[in-house]
Amino acid sequence: MGIYLQLLIDGILLGGLYTLVATGISLSYGVIRVINFAHGEFIMLGAYAAFWAVTLSGLDPLLMLPAIIVGGGLFGYALQRLFIQRILNAPHVNQILLTFGFSLILQNIAAILWTGDLRSAPSVVSYSVTELGPLMVPHSRLVAFTVAVVLVIGMLAWLKWSELGRATRAVAQNHRAALLMGINIHLIYAICFGISASLGAAAGSLMSFLVTISPWMGFPLVVKSFAVVALGGLGSVLGTIVGGFVLGLSETAVSFFIPGGSGWAEGVSFVFLIAILVFRPRGIFGLAVEEDAR
Amino acid sequence: MRPATLAKALAGAGVTGALLVLPFVGSPLVNDWTVRICSLIILAVSWNLALNAGLISLGHSAFWGLGSYAALLSANDLGATLPVSLVIAMLAGSLAGSGLAAVTGSLRGIFFAIATLAFSEILRVVALMTPQFTGGAEGLYLNPTLRPGSTPVTLGVVLGALACLAVSYALSLTRFNIACRAMRSSEETSKMFGINPLPYRVGCLAIAGAMASLAGGLNLWHGGFLDPLVAFDLHVTVLAQIAPIVGGIYTLTGPVVGAVLIVVLSEVTRIWLGASGYSQLILGVLLVVCVLAMPAGLIGLWRNYAQKRAGSGSLEAGHG
Repeated sequence: MGIYLQLLIDGILLGGLYTLVATGISLSYGVIRVINFAHGEFIMLGAYAAFWAVTLSGLDPLLMLPAIIVGGGLFGYALQRLFIQRILNAPHVNQILLTFGFSLILQNIAAILWTGDLRSAPSVVSYSVTELGPLMVPHSRLVAFTVAVVLVIGMLAWLKWSELGRATRAVAQNHRAALLMGINIHLIYAICFGISASLGAAAGSLMSFLVTISPWMGFPLVVKSFAVVALGGLGSVLGTIVGGFVLGLSETAVSFFIPGGSGWAEGVSFVFLIAILVFRPRGIFGLAVEEDAR
Repeated sequence: MRPATLAKALAGAGVTGALLVLPFVGSPLVNDWTVRICSLIILAVSWNLALNAGLISLGHSAFWGLGSYAALLSANDLGATLPVSLVIAMLAGSLAGSGLAAVTGSLRGIFFAIATLAFSEILRVVALMTPQFTGGAEGLYLNPTLRPGSTPVTLGVVLGALACLAVSYALSLTRFNIACRAMRSSEETSKMFGINPLPYRVGCLAIAGAMASLAGGLNLWHGGFLDPLVAFDLHVTVLAQIAPIVGGIYTLTGPVVGAVLIVVLSEVTRIWLGASGYSQLILGVLLVVCVLAMPAGLIGLWRNYAQKRAGSGSLEAGHG
């Protein structure tokens, strides 16, 4: 019994991080309709920012979080204004190739500047653990999970109650009608891309004390996030949250129950992704918005 | 024959002749460059062929890796010779391509692209986790007694590239190509004209898959070693898409021009700057610049220039 509870805890703690990463992708795709393959590089840059903060100033990665969120947001805003803006109406293949190009550029700048060495950024919470009877709850994962949940809830609250959030939802529903209502859709696009990037960078700084940091850490997370977004159905916020936990729990279960499972667990998200795209392209909840013809 | 057409035909014949002579020069460096350029031509032609039907592939490393493993296992376990193992590799690639097309049914654009990416990643995980076939993370060597030496392999890559170009040219003259282009513009509209997209998607990916697997198989014979990370490296997919976009997508010559340029560029950066990070960085910059500034590639730029000189006044790049 204890072991199942432990798996449940591990899966949920992992799922929270997946949800945070996927929410960023879901926001930028849902509003701007450009799939951002460079989202993983925001995560990577956030992780390196935390690492250098720890290494150079001795500050805890958690203390750096607000600065990393702001920095990530500004970076995303600029990227949208300077580049993504110009391919909004381009064919899909151009959009894919552009963000792929960003991904390559950022990965290799990181590799050149900081080498490909694996690093990690220990936090004060890295070495402590709470024991509840037979159950182990590492504080690092608990803290990362809590911050992730707070950030996702904050983003949802912003979408639901703020004026800009309302405008964002309007743009996501129908950008032409939103334009006619006097919403500055290009400003909304840039803000959304900025928020998406800051969520990615935040996820990266949380991961800096959970996993090893390398220039190539981001891309696999992006593909996993596609699976999370597809599981929940594009455009469904609730779906993305549930999708994150489904993936976290499934990976945890696979790595426990199957011999040599942690290797196979890496494949779970890809199988989900193909299965969902093929059998139920609108996701578990079926709320997905139709892709418009632009 | 118009002078321009004649010049093109002569240039084509000249390049073909030069490529056929190169393997017999015998220098390891020349052979290595020839193999790299010609395999990238094959990959680029294959990627462009799928894109021509509106199928954006992010899974070319899957075909490449399958082809490599098919060639490796058929040679090591069944004693297949170079040509036989390549036929097996192509069969594997075309099976995978048609299977992928059948399974992905009506997925389009970005959704198809993500499905192909997931396909390739699944194969990588499976290859890593089945060491009894693939040697796992340690990898496998091609049985050295089977290797025929550098010249036959290089000649094979050259012939493969020429064959793929010939196939792509032949296809461009057929109804198949017209149907594919119609599907690219709009699958809904093409259905109204009586085109059933599925057979075309299956056919297109079967051919593209066979080509990319051929390139993978040939590279196995060239390098002699394979592990799952090499076989299903995302970098193969990146190269397969960057060469056509630099040269000019939807054209016959674009992928060739792009492939040559990319290999030359990455060699030059490797020699000047050393570390491989720089050459990949430059590929990324090239990708961004091409998409933003010249989406029709070098061929498109050239056509614009030629049209301007001819005084036709139209600035639109023509798509072949």
